Amino acid sequence: MSAVRPVPPITIEKPVAKVWTGARAIAEAVKLADVDVIAAYPIRPYTGIMNAIAAMIADGEFQAEIIVADSEHSQFEVVKHAAATGARVFVGSSGVGLMYAYEAMLVTGLGSVPVVGVVGTRALDDPGNFGMEWTDAFTTRYFGWLISWPRDVQEALDMVLVAYRVAEDHRVLQPHFVALDGAALTHVAMPVYPPTKKQVTEFLPPYRPPYRIDPMDGPVTKAQHIAPSLIGPEQRKRIDVAMLKAKEVIIEAWKDYARYVGREYPPFIETKWMDDAEIALLSMGAYMKDIELVVSKLREKGLKIGTVRLRYLRPFPAEELVKVLSGVKAVGVIEFGFSFGSPYRTGPLYHEVATALYEADERPKLLDFLFLGGREPKPEHFIKAAEMVNELAKGKTFEKKAYWLTLRGEDI
Amino acid sequence: MVRLVKVKPHIERFPEYEELDWIVSHAIGVDQTSDAMRFSQVLAQAAVIRGYESYYYMRYDDSPERNYLPMIYYVVIGNPKINVLLREEIEPVGHLFNVIAVFSSNYLIQRTAQRALLFDGAKTNATLVVNTSLSPDAVISLVKKYSLAQDWNGKVVTISSSKIDKSIAFPMIGATLRGYEKIDLDAVLRALDILGLEKKKDSVRKGYEQAVVKEVNIRAEETEKFKTMKHEIEIPEFDGKYWNPEVYYAYQKAAATAENYVQRIAAMPRWEVLAPGLIEFGPKPGDRNIGFTTGEWRFQRPVINYKKCIDCKLCHLYCPDGAIDFNPIKVDYRFCTGCGVCVTVCPTKAIEMMQEIQAMEGLIDEEVPVKRFEEREYGY
Repeated sequence: MSAVRPVPPITIEKPVAKVWTGARAIAEAVKLADVDVIAAYPIRPYTGIMNAIAAMIADGEFQAEIIVADSEHSQFEVVKHAAATGARVFVGSSGVGLMYAYEAMLVTGLGSVPVVGVVGTRALDDPGNFGMEWTDAFTTRYFGWLISWPRDVQEALDMVLVAYRVAEDHRVLQPHFVALDGAALTHVAMPVYPPTKKQVTEFLPPYRPPYRIDPMDGPVTKAQHIAPSLIGPEQRKRIDVAMLKAKEVIIEAWKDYARYVGREYPPFIETKWMDDAEIALLSMGAYMKDIELVVSKLREKGLKIGTVRLRYLRPFPAEELVKVLSGVKAVGVIEFGFSFGSPYRTGPLYHEVATALYEADERPKLLDFLFLGGREPKPEHFIKAAEMVNELAKGKTFEKKAYWLTLRGEDI
Repeated sequence: MVRLVKVKPHIERFPEYEELDWIVSHAIGVDQTSDAMRFSQVLAQAAVIRGYESYYYMRYDDSPERNYLPMIYYVVIGNPKINVLLREEIEPVGHLFNVIAVFSSNYLIQRTAQRALLFDGAKTNATLVVNTSLSPDAVISLVKKYSLAQDWNGKVVTISSSKIDKSIAFPMIGATLRGYEKIDLDAVLRALDILGLEKKKDSVRKGYEQAVVKEVNIRAEETEKFKTMKHEIEIPEFDGKYWNPEVYYAYQKAAATAENYVQRIAAMPRWEVLAPGLIEFGPKPGDRNIGFTTGEWRFQRPVINYKKCIDCKLCHLYCPDGAIDFNPIKVDYRFCTGCGVCVTVCPTKAIEMMQEIQAMEGLIDEEVPVKRFEEREYGY
């Protein structure tokens, strides 16, 4: 009898992170989600995503139908119809391209078709401006799309997978955008740990629409002509309630994602140092990294300041935000979008935050910091913002509500 | 009359960035986008294998779909983490760059995509890696004349990449390892496995072995560039008046004559002087717009042999940049991008392309690219 062969000790090697751009990571998420139909039309920064998906399909890594449309409008029409027949779809655009697709997008929302897309945020062109601004994604707030906002490339990949799960849930059945800060996330490669195919298959069941447009299932008509007086308000109420229900679905989905994939995120709002904070800086997306860097340094100097990061813009986590910011003396909103001639000449994120906080018992004072036209702020600008918010908390009165800290010339 | 004031421009240094390691590469758009991307991707992946958080990206402002546009890629290596957001428009100020990788030697004598000097933002012990057939000494003398105006106690590494591999990225990676210690050859070879580029291991090894390394010790004051460049710019004194074309022209001239990045940024106008409706005041008839020069895109230039020229004006008509004067026929090198259309349309073959480095310095670099259509990468 031969001796028992010694079993070598099992070594589990830690996986090496892949260095992927946001565009590449999104493409990997699309592959992992086993998407059936992708519609594409180039516009920077979305082009990077489209190229990455096309390369995967061309290399035979991933089988899906990719349709390069003749315009963004057609692009969004293609996925709307494909999704209505029961296909899982992916789409995306940026800036003025997204604007051109608005008609198709709003029918997608009102028709409750769970399309998932990515907006690589881009300034609305003064010709050629491809800098990072949020106005393109913010302008889609009215269409019945869910909108979420990742902080880094890893979260962008995770968010796309969760977006399919939330959008296709029968309690929601609404389209979903993931908005990536253009350039800062779409085109910067950073280390990413992708989930495995098995993990994703367990987390994300196949898309099964309740009624799909397929002769095999019997005849149905989708998004028929609406007589306003007959079902206009009722149609919209269903979506209103879907957005309400989406909140519980989002919480469930992120819990499940942590269970299957092992990465945890707070569902709606990520806070840091808020337990004892008297003032706070609030924002979304990639620039939170610099804001957190600045705030951590200010805390070392003894300033009681915290950070608040919104992960969802639609549905907007108003109650959760009130809970986080009640009792805080002053908050600075840092944002990259604008609405000319708006109340107090402030930006759209400020409007959302101010509306939510109006219901708080102890309302913090607010200041808005605008970074427009694609010029990037540096940590020094966030230090300036924190100092101004601190002065506001101490009772200083400011002449304006909104400040343009990167502007050359007088900020009147 | 516009009153001008002299200013010595300054941009605050960025300590969070200086704590990181940077490998910056300069390449010719379209022709070399894929090379610079591969170069950066492999080095970043190798750094991750060695336990450093590492990013790579292309400068977002660059539009490599335009032929010959200079472009920049960055690899950023944490110590070991990266706690700061990496902005796309990294200001080349202070001591950032550990390695400056130059894919085509014309960037030794021209400014970068950011209209900066090649050494703006370099650490004092930076390594300059050049894809060239020129000797390290020739590279050093070019740099002193055109693109170095600060202290430099580092290394020059030269490598003639295309003799090893048509994909010049891989020999360049090997050469870079000779002047940068955080990443070793083993890590790069593992990164190539991860990225499915096993076949390129040999090219990297050969680049490592064949690179020529030379130590450098130069003080800023010893460089011709430092001696000849102006260190101040003149911009209009703001007097509260808006939308005045003369003020606009003064800013435009300051930007056009800026010699480095800091000067160019200081020459950008404040909002009050912009005319409403995105108006730019154009050049007077017959002049060209000094606010939009494209001459620094060029790695080769057309030279007209007037003995053969029959003055047919075809080159003037076909020049896509309007860079050839009508009467007499003459190339305005402030605007010529070196595309070669004039050579193609000339019926008497009176125009020839010459390497920029040859025209300026009488040197011939075998690595200055010939067009490589199959390697081109478009789109962004």
